[in-house]
Formats: sequence, C-alpha cells, structure tokens
Amino acid sequence: MADPAPLPDDTEEAEGLRKIIHVDMDAFFASVEQRDNPDLRGLPVAVGGAGGRGVVAAASYEARKFGVRSAMPSVTARRKCPDLIFCRPRFDVYRGVSQQIRAIFRDYTPHVEPLSLDEAYLDVTDDLRGIGSATRIAQLIRQRIREDTQLTASAGVSYNKFLAKLASDQNKPDGLCVIRPGEGAAFARGLPIRRFHGVGPRGAEKMARLGIETGADLAAKDIAWLRQHFGSFADYLYRAVRGIDLRPVRANRIRKSLGGERTFGEDLSSGAKLREALDNIIDIVWRRIEEAETRGRTVTLKMKYNDFQITTRARSLPRVVADRAEFTRIAHALLEEQLPLPMPIRLMGVTLSGLEGKQAAAEEASAPQNAQLALF
Amino acid sequence: MKATIERAKLLRCLSHVQSVVERRNTIPILSNVLIEAAGDGLVRVMATDLDLQVVESLDAVSVDGAGAITVSAHLLFDIARKLPDGSQVSLEAADNRMTVKAGRSRFSLPTLPRDDFPVIVEGDLPTSFELPAKVLAELIDRTRFAISTEETRYYLNGIFLHVADEDTPVLKAAATDGHRLARFTIDRPDGAAGMPDVIVPRKAVAELRKLLEEAGDSNVLIDLSASKVRFTLGGEGGMVLTSKLIDGTFPDYSRVIPTGNDKLLKLDPRSFFQGVDRVATIATEKTRAVKIGLETDKVVLSVTSPDNGTAAEEVPASYSSEPLEIGFNANYLKDILGQIDGDTVELHLADAGAPTLIRQDDSSPALYVLMPMRV
Repeated sequence: MADPAPLPDDTEEAEGLRKIIHVDMDAFFASVEQRDNPDLRGLPVAVGGAGGRGVVAAASYEARKFGVRSAMPSVTARRKCPDLIFCRPRFDVYRGVSQQIRAIFRDYTPHVEPLSLDEAYLDVTDDLRGIGSATRIAQLIRQRIREDTQLTASAGVSYNKFLAKLASDQNKPDGLCVIRPGEGAAFARGLPIRRFHGVGPRGAEKMARLGIETGADLAAKDIAWLRQHFGSFADYLYRAVRGIDLRPVRANRIRKSLGGERTFGEDLSSGAKLREALDNIIDIVWRRIEEAETRGRTVTLKMKYNDFQITTRARSLPRVVADRAEFTRIAHALLEEQLPLPMPIRLMGVTLSGLEGKQAAAEEASAPQNAQLALF
Repeated sequence: MKATIERAKLLRCLSHVQSVVERRNTIPILSNVLIEAAGDGLVRVMATDLDLQVVESLDAVSVDGAGAITVSAHLLFDIARKLPDGSQVSLEAADNRMTVKAGRSRFSLPTLPRDDFPVIVEGDLPTSFELPAKVLAELIDRTRFAISTEETRYYLNGIFLHVADEDTPVLKAAATDGHRLARFTIDRPDGAAGMPDVIVPRKAVAELRKLLEEAGDSNVLIDLSASKVRFTLGGEGGMVLTSKLIDGTFPDYSRVIPTGNDKLLKLDPRSFFQGVDRVATIATEKTRAVKIGLETDKVVLSVTSPDNGTAAEEVPASYSSEPLEIGFNANYLKDILGQIDGDTVELHLADAGAPTLIRQDDSSPALYVLMPMRV
C-alpha cells in the first residue's frame, strides 16, 4: 500500500515519450458519505437504491470485503453483507467534490480528460510548473486532494493511458504506482486478463475457454488468431498486451451519447427477467447521466439475440427527457413493444443521445443557419 | 467439399454477393461467403450482413465432393478477379483451409465452419406477387435518390411500398428525406391485395438494383410479410435476395403532396437542369441555394455567393401567373429533373415557403415534391 520511493530524475521517461497520470478517487461516493457522516466510518456502506430493483453505485472498502461490488443488484449485496448500510446518492455533493479535484488537476496541466466524476487522465508531458517528474506531480495532486477534500485518491503514472489506468488500480486504495518505459509489456503480461480494460466477466470466460488467463497467455497469440476469435477487439488486445496505446488525452471530448450495456451470464427471454435486467441497466445509465450533468432527447434500446443479431429501437422526444421516471418509462415502452421476443437475448443496452450539455448548446449556436425548409 | 467452377461464372457471382458483406465486421464469420456444393453440380454462394442476404446458384464444371464451407468474401473475390480469363477454378476444403487452384496459382485460405454462418429466418411470407424486372428497376430509380441517410429517422431509410384503392387498385413506392419526396405508382399486381405496408431498407434497394441489371425481360417474384421481404430473380437456380424490413412507421406522406398549387411552370427539363447546374458552380457548400425568378414565359436562375460572386441565366419557359421568386437546393432540383425523360416538366407552385409539385405530366407514374429554401 505504501508509495514507492520517488524516482531519481534521470530515470524519467525517455525523450519523445508522453507522461500520463490516471487519478481515481477511492470508493468515491461511499467515501464522501463516510466523510460527511462520521457514524458510517469503518462500516460497510453502499451508495444506491436499497429497494428490490436497486443496484449498488459504489461500495466502501469495508463492504467490498464481503464481496459487494458496484453494479451489483442491491438484493445480492445485502445477501453477501447483511449489515450493509445503504445511502441514497447525493449527486450534487459528488459533483461539487469533482469540481474541486478537477481544479487541482488544472493547476498542473490543461490536458485533463475526465472519465467520470471521480476519474481523469492527465497529460503532464509539458511540465508547466517545472516540477521535473510526473511521479512527483502525482504525489502532489494526491496530497492536495487529501488536504482539500479529506478524501483519498490513487494514481497511476506511465507513458500511455492504458498503462496509467492499470497502474492506478495496482495499489488501491490510497496508492501510487509507476510503470516506467520498457516495463509496460512485462507489466501487462503479468496481469490476470480480467484487469484489461474492456474485458468483462463474459469476455474473461471466453478467454479462459481459449486458454488465456493472463496477459502472458494473450501475448503468445498472433494477430490472425486474435482476429479470428475477437474480431475488431483483436487489434486493441494485441497492442495493449504489448504496452502500446497511442490514444491522446483529450481535454474537451464532446459526448454524443451516454449509455451502458450488459452481457448476461445466461440468455434471457422471459418478460419478467428482461424487465428486471432493463431496470438494472437503467440504474447504471441514469447514474452516468447524472454524473455527466447532461440531458438528451433520444432513448435507444439495444438487444443482441443469441444468434448475434442486433436490434435497436429508439424513441425521440421533441424536448429533452425530463427525469429518471420518464427515461425509465420510455425504455420500458421500447422493450414492451418487442415482447414476446423471437429468441432469447444475450445482451441489452440503453443509450441516451441527442445530448444537450453545455458543449452541445455551444456547438449548435455556431452551426450555420439551415435555410432548407422541411416537408414534415 | 470439392468443386470446379468456370472463373467467369464464379467472378460474376462473387461480384453480386460480396458487396453485401461489410468491410468491417465485429463478427468474423460475417466477412465470409458460404459456398455450398451439391452432388447435382449446383453450387450455391451466399453472403449476409444479418439484415440482408443474397444467395446465388451457379452450375459447376464438376462437383467431386458435396459439402459447404465459408471463406473471406473479399479475398476470394479479389483472387477470382486476378485469375486469368477462361481458367477453371477448383475449390477444395480440408482441415480448416480452402485450397483455391487455377492454372499455376494455388491459394490456401482460412475457413470457418458453415454451421456458424447465420441465415435469416424468413418465417411465413404470405404476400406473393410478380413484377417485370424493368418495372421494378424503374420504380427504384425514380424514388431511391430521395431516401434519407439520417440514421435518427431510421423509418425514412428505405423505400415505402403500400397498396391503395384509388380509381383502380395501385401499388405505390415512396421515399423521402423530409426535404423532398418521390412517389412512383403502378397498377396493383395480382397477389398484392391486402399486403402489409413495408419499408425496404436502402442497402437492400441498392443490392437489388444491381441484380436487376442482369434480369433482362424476366419477372421478379416478390414474397413478403410485415417483417421480411424476398426477391427471387431468374427462377430456380437464380438469385435470391432476402432482407429484413425497417420496423417503423412511414409518415403519412400524402398530406405533404400539394393539391391546390395554382401557378404552373412548364419548361424543357434538360435546359433547366443544365442552367441550374451552371449557376450552381459558384454556390458554396453552405449556400447550395439557387434562386428562381418566374416571369412571364421565362425563368431567371441566379446564385449569389459571399465568396464567389454572382451568376445568372435565363431559361425560356411557359408561365403566365404573377411573378414569383423561390429558392431551391440546386442538388435536390437536379436530382428530380434528372428523372424526367420527356421534353417538358411541370412545376406546380404556390409560394416561396410552400412545397412545389414536380412531374412530367398528369399521366406520369412518377411524382415529386420539393420543399424550397429561404433565399
């Protein structure tokens, strides 16, 4: 858990390489609740809906010991940890803290790409404040987060986003990890395959069936073999396991849609199971919408049948979707009109698009006036 | 599986089916064609993108082993293309590989098992009728240019087919992108009575149009339900295209077809087209608008661009109502004028903000509606 010793300056990244930091707050929502309510400290806490259909949005480390995880149905979480204390999410507070930490990031670099309220990539290749080392910058940021918010963050430092994110996960909570140039491939090879971003539980199962348990197993496969089994995902896997990731840190990423999807452990077909699955996905997606402080007009329901055919149904409103209740109602209507399904599905997803955040509004204002009149 | 096929036949068949296959696929087997050789010397080649599938049969020189296998569509097509004219191509599948041999060339291609190849479940297709290939081709040509490409209005991404009882029973095809509308009307074919309203997706329309090039004077058999459509060309052993239909409601387009437009402009569609094309040269991407000034027996076409200056051209016409100025997207106007075969085109106008009806004459099966631009 302890920080590794600071690096001597002369072993810093070679010329031409980038310096990327990934900062991730520890059990963010749950930690905020424990900070603001001392009675909760040291106890298993879950943020999310406690009701029959609720899911865990975040779990404190005390709760994680019992196997409680985020995105887990609340019913399951309570079974794993009968003393679990549920808190209703307070997104206003989380957003406030998020703004505090982003302000800290921007003291060190303008290149900040937030992934969610509690996570961001920073490109500190240009050392604005002459600190001299990305590792030192990461330490300073973690220290200031602790001072300003009384919360802890973990950070990963490396030469690309993929490795920086793996590194921040390595010594959680309240940890720091550095993957130096030349170490990336070895680090990735030593990891269980589940740690690779984009490999979920079902993906890991498939990998296991194909004899891939670790990064090293993956690295042994050639690109043709990977493409045959993983299609378009292959190129990413091939590069990632070699520690290569050229994606830039994008400071002002404009989101066009926000959503989430889930591949089920077993194919679903009954109406009751489908509705329950949809509610769980809505919980997760609506949380993302809340976090992103955005609203949209179009709700899309996607399903992948067990023969891999994909269908999407969408409904657009002339205005933005007002609230969670309306979002839920539209998503359920899209499901109901397709019941009974012709065959079981293996995946379901819900997306909100036609987003009207601050950025979208600005974009619209600068678009040229469209003089073409419409028939309908 | 082992079969020998004439290169020309294989190439023609692959050129039909390979465009169904998407270049980028998340599911590897969708990049492949299914090749199925039967003992009677018939080889079936099939491609799919899960929404659309094309099956074509061809006579093999010989089939020495019945069976089926899938290989990369684009690889096999490219190989067939480069093989010498007049050669015979042998295809043999063994040990997860397919060997392609012709002359002195030999290729060994990776394969995927045929059982993994997805086939569209057609279900029951209760409506069944025939159309001459030439009529179907014209129906497509006259309407497809107006199909919307906007994904959010997915229900406009195809040609809408429906039957109606007017003075006589008719079958109508309509396409629109919300700015212009094209409609083509024919007598209702036997068997089409009571058919469900359907929207045939753009890609199916494009692939079908390609197949129709080779259909000559034959008839096309059309079988459909509310969710699937199947086009059979060339009867047994010919080409079969099956597509899912767009699951959505096409808007009630009849309400945007103007009926009371009292200003009638008649002119030669070709000189009108060429005039619009010439003045539009200086129009920029943003201002594709061409202004049309209607005066007694002439129209004045003009474009004003802040960057490129101005252009004007006078075209003789027959017009006797009061003068009117109206703007149109030059490309939309050209798309429609390009569909008029005769020596005269009629434009029925109301005012600068209302839809204009365009047709060859009142007996023409094709009718177009174009919404103006503000200029």
